[in-house]
Amino acid sequence: MEELKYIEFDKFLNNELTETEKTAFEERLNSDADLKQEFEIYKALETSLASKFENEETEKELRNTLTHLGSKYINDKTETETKTKVISLFNYKKLLVAASIALLIGFLIFKNGNPVYSDFSKHNSLELVVRGDNNEAITKAEEAFNTKNYKTAFVQLTILEEQLPNDIEIQLYKGICLIEMDQFSQAETIFNSISKGNSAFKYKATWYKALNLLKQENFEACKEVLKTIPESAEEFEQAKKLLKRL
Amino acid sequence: MNQKPHADHIYIEALLKNDSRVLSQLYEKFSHKIVTYVRNNNGNADDAQDIIQETLVTIYHQAKEKNFVLTCPFDAYFYLLCKRRWLNELKKRGTNRVTILEDEASIKDEHEQQVEETEIFEQQNQLFESKFKELGAKCQELLKATFKIKSMEEVAEFLGVTYGYARKKKSQCMGKLTQLVKDSNEFQQLKRY
Repeated sequence: MEELKYIEFDKFLNNELTETEKTAFEERLNSDADLKQEFEIYKALETSLASKFENEETEKELRNTLTHLGSKYINDKTETETKTKVISLFNYKKLLVAASIALLIGFLIFKNGNPVYSDFSKHNSLELVVRGDNNEAITKAEEAFNTKNYKTAFVQLTILEEQLPNDIEIQLYKGICLIEMDQFSQAETIFNSISKGNSAFKYKATWYKALNLLKQENFEACKEVLKTIPESAEEFEQAKKLLKRL
Repeated sequence: MNQKPHADHIYIEALLKNDSRVLSQLYEKFSHKIVTYVRNNNGNADDAQDIIQETLVTIYHQAKEKNFVLTCPFDAYFYLLCKRRWLNELKKRGTNRVTILEDEASIKDEHEQQVEETEIFEQQNQLFESKFKELGAKCQELLKATFKIKSMEEVAEFLGVTYGYARKKKSQCMGKLTQLVKDSNEFQQLKRY
C-alpha cells in the first residue's frame, strides 16, 4: 500500500496520470492532510536532490573561483598574523631551493668522484698508412676505427695481424676495440703482454689497461695500474688526472 | 509581495554564471566587514573566508533551485547571513567565552525576511542531505543516477536492471527518504514553511 502511494506521487510529478486519475489524486490530497504533507516532502526532496546532483559540477567550478578570490581578497588583506605566515613560507621556499641546489652540487661532486671511462677514452686515430703497406685491410681498419665502428675495425685488424704478426700498434688497437666491445678479459691479455714488453707502446698499453679496469668500475685496481706509469711517459699527465679523481 | 529585483541582484546572477569579474567586486566590497566581524569574535581570516564561501554557495543553490530574487541591498543581506552562520559555527565549536560584539547596523524587516528565506532553504537542504546519507548504498546510488542521468531508461541501462524495476525502486527509495525526513526533529521545526 505504502509502495503504491509513492509510485503514484512519482507518476503525478512526471505527469503520467490520466485526467481522471489526476483529479482523484488531487481530491485525496485536499482531504488528507497527512498525505498532503508527505507529498509535499516528496516533491521538495525531488527538486532539491535533482538540483543538487545536476549542479554538482558547476558548484565545484564556482567553489574554485571563490577559493581563488577568497585568498586574493581576504588573506592578502594583511593581518600581521597572516603576513608573517606568508613571509615565513616564502623563506621556507627559499630555503628549499637552496637545499636542493646544495643537493644537486653534492650530487655532481659525488658523480665527479666516480670518473667514467668515456671521460678518458679519446683514442688517437689509427694511422697505419705511414708503414707504406698500403693495402685494403689497412684502409678499412683505419676507416672503421676512426668512425668508432669498432667491430669492423677489430675484424680488419685481425686480418692485418696475420700479415704483420710483430706489429705491436696493431695489437694495441685491437685491444682498444675490445674495450669498446666490452671484451674486458681479452683486452687485458693484450695490454698485459704489451706493457710487459719494451716497445714504444709499453705505457700506452698500461694506460689502456687502466682504462679497461675503469670501464669495469674496478677503481682500486685501476689506481694501482696508473701508479706504474712513470713521469717520463707520455701518458703520465693523463694518469695523474685520472688518479686525482679516483 | 514585491518581487522586483534590487540592483544588487547582479551578484546573484554572477554566482549563477560564475562571473569572476563581478564576484571579485563582491569580495572587494563586502568581505572586509565580515572578516572584521569574525576576527572580533574569536575567529581568524581563514574562518571568515570559509563563512563567506559557504554563504555564497548556499545563495547560488537557492537561486538555481528556487529562482531566488534579491529584493534588498546585498550588503545588509549578506552581512547578516554570514554573521549568523559564524555564530552557529561558534556554537558548534562549543566556544563558551563568546563576546558577541553587536553593531549598530540595524536591519529592516524586509531584509530580515530575505535572510530567513535563505536560511530556511539551507536548513532544509542540510536536512535532506543528511537523511539521504542515511539511506542504504543501493538507494543512494539509484537516486544519484536518477537525478544525474534524468532519463529513467538510461538509468535502468546504466544500473543493468529493467526500466520497470528502476522506476519501482526509485519511488521506493524516495518514499523511504520521505519518511526519514518526516519523522526527524529538524523537520518538525521547519514545518511552518
